[in-house]
Amino acid sequence: MVGISIAILRLGPEEIVNIWRSLDIDLVHILCSSFLIIFICTVYFMSKPRSVYLVDYACYKPPIIWRVPFSTFMEHSRLILKDNLKSVDFQMRILERSGLGEETCLPPAIHYIPPTPTMEAAREEAQVVIFSAIDSLMQKTGIKAKDIDILIVNCSLFSPTPSLSAMVVNKYKLRSNIKSYNLSGMGCSAGLISMDLARDLLQAHPNSYALVVSTEIITPNYYKGSERAMLLPNCLFRMGSAAILLSNKNRDKRRAKYRLVHVVRTHKGSDDKAYKCVYEQEDSQGKVGINLSKDLMVIAAEALKSNITTIGPLVLPASEQILFLFTLIGRKIFNPKWKPYIPDFKQAFEHFCIHAGGRAVIDELQKNLQLSSEHVEASRMTLHRFGNTSSSSLWYEMSYIEAKGRMKKGDRVWQIAFGSGFKCNSAVWKCNRTIKTPTDGPWQDCIDRYPVHIPEIVKL
Amino acid sequence: MKLHYLKAIYYFGNQAFEGLTTLNIKEHMFILLNYFPAICGRFRRTESGRPYIKCNDCGVRFIEAKCEKTMDEWLEMMKENASIEKYLTPNQIIGPELAFSPTVLVQFTKFKCGGMSVGLSWAHVLGDAFSAAEFMNTLGKVVADEKPNRHINLAQMKTKSTNTKSPIKIMEDPLSIKRVGPVGDNWLTVNNCKMEAFSFSVNDTQLSHFQSKISSKGTNFTPFEALSAVIWQCIAKIRPESEPKVVTICKKSEQNKVDGNNQLISVVKADYPIVEVDPSELAALMKNASFDEREKIEIAIKKDDGVSDFIVYGANLTFVNLEEVKCYEFEYRKQKPVYVGYRLDGISDSGAVLLLPGPPKNGGRTVVAILPEDEVIELKSELKSEWFMD
Repeated sequence: MVGISIAILRLGPEEIVNIWRSLDIDLVHILCSSFLIIFICTVYFMSKPRSVYLVDYACYKPPIIWRVPFSTFMEHSRLILKDNLKSVDFQMRILERSGLGEETCLPPAIHYIPPTPTMEAAREEAQVVIFSAIDSLMQKTGIKAKDIDILIVNCSLFSPTPSLSAMVVNKYKLRSNIKSYNLSGMGCSAGLISMDLARDLLQAHPNSYALVVSTEIITPNYYKGSERAMLLPNCLFRMGSAAILLSNKNRDKRRAKYRLVHVVRTHKGSDDKAYKCVYEQEDSQGKVGINLSKDLMVIAAEALKSNITTIGPLVLPASEQILFLFTLIGRKIFNPKWKPYIPDFKQAFEHFCIHAGGRAVIDELQKNLQLSSEHVEASRMTLHRFGNTSSSSLWYEMSYIEAKGRMKKGDRVWQIAFGSGFKCNSAVWKCNRTIKTPTDGPWQDCIDRYPVHIPEIVKL
Repeated sequence: MKLHYLKAIYYFGNQAFEGLTTLNIKEHMFILLNYFPAICGRFRRTESGRPYIKCNDCGVRFIEAKCEKTMDEWLEMMKENASIEKYLTPNQIIGPELAFSPTVLVQFTKFKCGGMSVGLSWAHVLGDAFSAAEFMNTLGKVVADEKPNRHINLAQMKTKSTNTKSPIKIMEDPLSIKRVGPVGDNWLTVNNCKMEAFSFSVNDTQLSHFQSKISSKGTNFTPFEALSAVIWQCIAKIRPESEPKVVTICKKSEQNKVDGNNQLISVVKADYPIVEVDPSELAALMKNASFDEREKIEIAIKKDDGVSDFIVYGANLTFVNLEEVKCYEFEYRKQKPVYVGYRLDGISDSGAVLLLPGPPKNGGRTVVAILPEDEVIELKSELKSEWFMD
């Protein structure tokens, strides 16, 4: 192409006209060629996936009066688990090493001794967290209820009838032809599954807005027994929710914050161990809780490896891919003892949002991906300030990065979430415009205190 | 003071709490507690065994309760049997696990008629009744959206520094306190008999009648001195074999200090039989009792670095002057309490008598006597017969 253009340019205008005449093109030829070109262009544009833009998102900030300082949590545990001092001790040790801070929040029903998780209380919690996030989002984006075409709500452990998405439709009087979906039971990675679903729907429906709400309702899921493997979620899970507005409209191209580049989902459920590693069951006394197996970290690392194998080729620069390929071939053919080459993802991404599942998860990923502490700062600080808010934690982390003023145009963000199943899901976003330090958001009043040094063990 | 607990009950009519949910009430309490970080803490022990409060934001225990009677019915029932009031306050002591024992507990009891009682259980170790009343009054201010005039006071700084270089003179324990067996982590006084509280009001006319009856030679006695002298004598009559010759008096310290235990503790000793003497002489003794034993108490405690256990209330028959406690100043949404009751728990066998201000409508005073249960009836009849009080 370049060669031909240079040749053409070197010729004078008269010679170009001569060549044109000699080609002996008549009207039919011209028409056919134009039609062909137009046809090819149309096919190209039609089959190109629509760009999905993230217009804006809002995270719920629980009121400070619902906070659970370590001392309060331990006192309540002691009173509730009165006959099981070993379990109380266990909880204390978990809390000391958890990486949580003293401002994480639990819903009011859980503040009772013993907790009073009724369905009514669960619905109230759902209403407070979801409606606050959506109200905040609507105020930020200026969108009206009647503009929403697609609604997806994901909440793993609370699934009433009518569904939470129906609750949203009812509250905001959304249109009767809305495409609403409610995802439940999909664990902490459901947030990215919702993104994937929204993206697919936005391919099928042009010119639409999709509202995605990711949350986890704590009230009905507080474990009331004393089995140690099942007490862990009580120590880590906290209230939170996020509402995200996605669009495939052209006019949002300018005002959107991010563009969705890739979503990669990896499901390890075919392996029995992976399937059972986060398992909801009854303990020996019939109390329902979530059992976390001891191999959780190993399985998470495996799932991550699978996910990286798929996402690597999509995002890594050629140099990293070649290096990885060489080492892989080398290990297989030459010497299995060669250390596996871990591609340097820092070259592919500026920011990392690792689901704040727990301190161990973040430590493991930091080690596996060889990330610096600044890269995992958003995750650690979100865990400290908000606890494990399940599917919405990724959005608190994004919010942290924005609040710190680190998000510039063109920055690529990698969101990684793990969930029961066992699933590892990733989403890659590209920042569309440099984001000025927001004056609202969940970090508004405390961002100046962060980053905070989180000791290995907090003395209670 | 750690074995004593102050109980206060504020009775409000239906307008004060109408339409409020538990969450609304708690919201105000959170704001209030920002000004009292020590109350939100829990006790720990140092390596030497001395207890201290760790301000760890653990908070105040909040109890919701319901009563099937209307408030008027309840107040009627109380006239016959004042001990039922204990159901309106939380009755948890500090211990057996210090780290998990709240020092302050509140109980909101809703009555059938819509009225609400606010019951406060306040560990005396945090401060005296004046501090407790201040705490509740600050809550009233917070509810009215007024900014309380308080600084966040973290630690009680001692104004006098003890000179540890000079050898501590081995002195006898002062009379106002009694050493009790090591209570360990169960901060409760062990009594030989069950203590019961009863209260009666003395209105303004009765009060002035008393004061005039007792005054002699032109010396005027305050209501506290007059009433205490009278009650002292009555109690002496009902305890013939063990007349209370020594009496402890607690009253408000003149200095306007920060919260804490700032009461003046003094002791009055009578060398003659109480029963026969004129009450005005007893009142005179009380008036002149000005020796503040607090320093002696501090020295006694320091002898073994704050590890032993002592009691003040009930070591001897104790009279506590709470006339100036601003208990009726606690306003919830501009509603004043209908009635306020104060009690002390953890009183030892010699008993205690508290003198509180009366309800603003009636004026006068409310007297609360906490005595061994078999003495209560006798005292009641004695007061009725001798002094026409009921």
